[in-house]
Amino acid sequence: MKRGHGETWDPPPASRSGEGPSMADKKKVADDNNNNNNMDDELLAVLGYKVRSSEMAEVARKLEQLEMVLSNDDVGSTVLNDTVHYNPSDLSTWVESMLSELNNPASSDLDPTRSCVDRSEYDLRAIPGRSAFPKEEEVFDEEASSKRIRLGSWCESAGESTRSVVLVDSQETGVRLVHALVACAEAIQQENLNLADALVKRVGTLAAAQAGAMGKVATYFAQALARRIYRDYTAETDVSGGSFEEVLQMHFYDSCPYLKFAHFTANQAILEAVATARRVHVIDLGLNQGMQWPALMQALALRPGGPPSFRLTGIGPPQTENSDSLQQLGWKLAQFAQNMGVEFEFKGLAAESLSDLEPEMFETRPESETLVVNSVFELHRLLARSGSIEKLFNTVKAIKPSIITVVEQEANHNGIVFLDRFNEALHYYSSLFDSLEDSYSLPSQDRVMSEVYLGRHILNVVAAEGSDRVERHETVAQWRIRMKSAGFDPVHLGSSAFKQASMLLSLYATGDGYRVEENDGCLMIGWQTRPLITTSAWKLAGGGESRR
Amino acid sequence: MAGGNEVNLNECKRIVPLNTWVLISNFKLAYKVLRRPDGSFNRYLAEFLDRKVPANTFPLDGVFSFDHVDSTTNLLTRIYQPASLLDLTRHGTLQLTKPLSTTEIVPVLIFFHGGSFTHSSANSAIYDTFCRRLVTICGVVVVSVDYRRSPEHRYPCAYDDGWNALKWVKTRVWLQSGKDSNVYVYLAGDSSGGNIAHNVAVRATKEGVKVLGNILLHPMFGGQERTESEKSLDGKYFVTIQDRDWYWRAYLPEGEDRDHPACNPFGPRGQSLKGVNFPKSLVVVAGLDLVQDWQLAYVDGLKKNGLEVNLLYLKQATIGFYFLPNNDHFHCLMEELKKFVHPIEDSQSKSSPLLLTP
Repeated sequence: MKRGHGETWDPPPASRSGEGPSMADKKKVADDNNNNNNMDDELLAVLGYKVRSSEMAEVARKLEQLEMVLSNDDVGSTVLNDTVHYNPSDLSTWVESMLSELNNPASSDLDPTRSCVDRSEYDLRAIPGRSAFPKEEEVFDEEASSKRIRLGSWCESAGESTRSVVLVDSQETGVRLVHALVACAEAIQQENLNLADALVKRVGTLAAAQAGAMGKVATYFAQALARRIYRDYTAETDVSGGSFEEVLQMHFYDSCPYLKFAHFTANQAILEAVATARRVHVIDLGLNQGMQWPALMQALALRPGGPPSFRLTGIGPPQTENSDSLQQLGWKLAQFAQNMGVEFEFKGLAAESLSDLEPEMFETRPESETLVVNSVFELHRLLARSGSIEKLFNTVKAIKPSIITVVEQEANHNGIVFLDRFNEALHYYSSLFDSLEDSYSLPSQDRVMSEVYLGRHILNVVAAEGSDRVERHETVAQWRIRMKSAGFDPVHLGSSAFKQASMLLSLYATGDGYRVEENDGCLMIGWQTRPLITTSAWKLAGGGESRR
Repeated sequence: MAGGNEVNLNECKRIVPLNTWVLISNFKLAYKVLRRPDGSFNRYLAEFLDRKVPANTFPLDGVFSFDHVDSTTNLLTRIYQPASLLDLTRHGTLQLTKPLSTTEIVPVLIFFHGGSFTHSSANSAIYDTFCRRLVTICGVVVVSVDYRRSPEHRYPCAYDDGWNALKWVKTRVWLQSGKDSNVYVYLAGDSSGGNIAHNVAVRATKEGVKVLGNILLHPMFGGQERTESEKSLDGKYFVTIQDRDWYWRAYLPEGEDRDHPACNPFGPRGQSLKGVNFPKSLVVVAGLDLVQDWQLAYVDGLKKNGLEVNLLYLKQATIGFYFLPNNDHFHCLMEELKKFVHPIEDSQSKSSPLLLTP
């Protein structure tokens, strides 16, 4: 959300009109607004509401109308209590949608594409993971007792270089550790490698002595810093065809709710988009272990009137001679689909990079199928080579999907200045590790492997450069700009998805600090007040409703 | 009643700037949708609709803010400081080890956000913005505190959380100031937050914790009786008796009525504060708030107990006037607040109410 810039606090002019209170604006906002009618009212903007000054009177009128309708009895507000709401920041549209909901209550049943009714009793059993790939669960209770530095929140900016501030509270331990980390990064920024080397050794020592999440994060950052100093970064070539990374991601999936949230919210958007489709084709830009799809198939199977047919095209890294894990995964999913009673088709596509994909490879069937493109943590990697993301966007536009679901890390780890990236990453991964630490389970293999998984990302953000540095995370504000200029319009995620994601968290999240937040049509999951992962949805700009 | 409603809406629209009217009406409608007639509350939808903002560890407009989350309660506290007080010892770190100042006194306002005990959070955009303005205009540090909300958590949860927040603030080295290294605390709040401030002050008085002053911004009080202001202003300026009743039913223990002392502190079941070392109070009353008779009764109650109280009565103000700085009431409020927390040495007069009608 945009914060107001340059709010000044000059006292208002002494003028006072005879009738009623003066409307003394604090700046020349009133005059400016009359001249720039298409500008959002600045005072409302800092409060989270986008209303154009020129629309203000119209919005007021709609609010009055709504008030009139609701004032008679409780029925109206009960109806609105149950409907799905979208993007409350856009007041005009939000109020309008409530008005039409009240004026046309019958249509919600007749027109399923509107998906107006909040099916709050939605079967949450249609949720990930164990059903497809059952494993033993270990659940223990533990008091989280590690002291850690409270790192401050991150400040949002659209593409600007941010300077996060690391807070150091002397009443917590690890003060010297944070100082040493930041000092080392500073030394590197100033190209004083001798000093950096001395400091990184110090960090290592301090980190080893530091208990809990802070110690672990610091250790990974220290290792990454060392690699950077010694220019010892090699893109880990994984001879097993990327499967180690996939295994790690699965542990990450199991140990904390972030990926579950990502899959769940993306699936919600997909379900809404394909609500009336008889044939659905999903292209998953990063199939990994396919953890997202059993839940979607389950949800489709539960659809009144029966499931649509489900075709999945999964993209993965190039396969080695000895294994074709993509195909094997396809078989597993096919079995699952059969159990669900869902007609299923699978195709695996191996690609070194998503920019190698061409529209023909997908063999789309636009006359009969509704097409979905899904990307979880894949887009940012393409920012490492110029032209790559544009190529992918062109390919996606060419196949004309009804919806594109995108999940990305909510952080700017792609700034030009190393020190800024470092500070951002320190914040971000500290929050992540904190949340892993806080879960009430004992150190399990899942958690350890999750830390390794995240550690690899830390290494890449800190030590890699050029086309090796693939963990180029950007914030949703930055992605919005990219998507918009590439020709995509947002599809807003609504209160129903929000509610169910929140309920999901209470089922699957062992810690209490996870929060779901709505941000201008996107959903974010975060730890405490720090958003960490964002799910957004998009469609091709302009153009009428795609056929469902 | 359709005709009557039209008149009311038009009247209300004339009194406040248009964008203020849109903002407060939006809340009014959203809140109506969230409150269910059976007394339950749609918390998920409430959280979805609430516009939230992050803290600004990178100072924005001269204010620096950061979050602290209590590890046991998960309640958020957001601290706001003037950026000029920052001691950035090195790029990228802020050391929370030193007091705010060793020479000057820097007042720390513990702010309890409003929302009728049910809505909003410290990181709600309306409150984050308000707190930032307090810092800039009044030259204070603000500690904005979350508390457990009704109907999920009833009396006395909010007061307990407020009390814990006070204790926490008092023990932060980095909130100390002045030559004698104390934390100079004022309690403040709007609507239900004002009610909480009063109750936390009562407890502080009992337990010997020093609070320099209370600031109550159209505080939420009530009683069984229907007062004149409630009857004559019902539904006219964003607020109805019906919604007030709903929130009291949601907050007070089940089966209780509005003469419960949490709601009516100087009513038939109220307690005496005679002879206690209760802090001085600044009570701000909006002249178009239907609750005002109860707020004025509160001021009376303080006076009858021999306590110092300043009343700022803003005749043409509606509730929520302070969310946008586009009106005289806002500036008037800020001026009074400044004077309250930065008292000049020689103005020690006891309460004579300041009736200010801009």
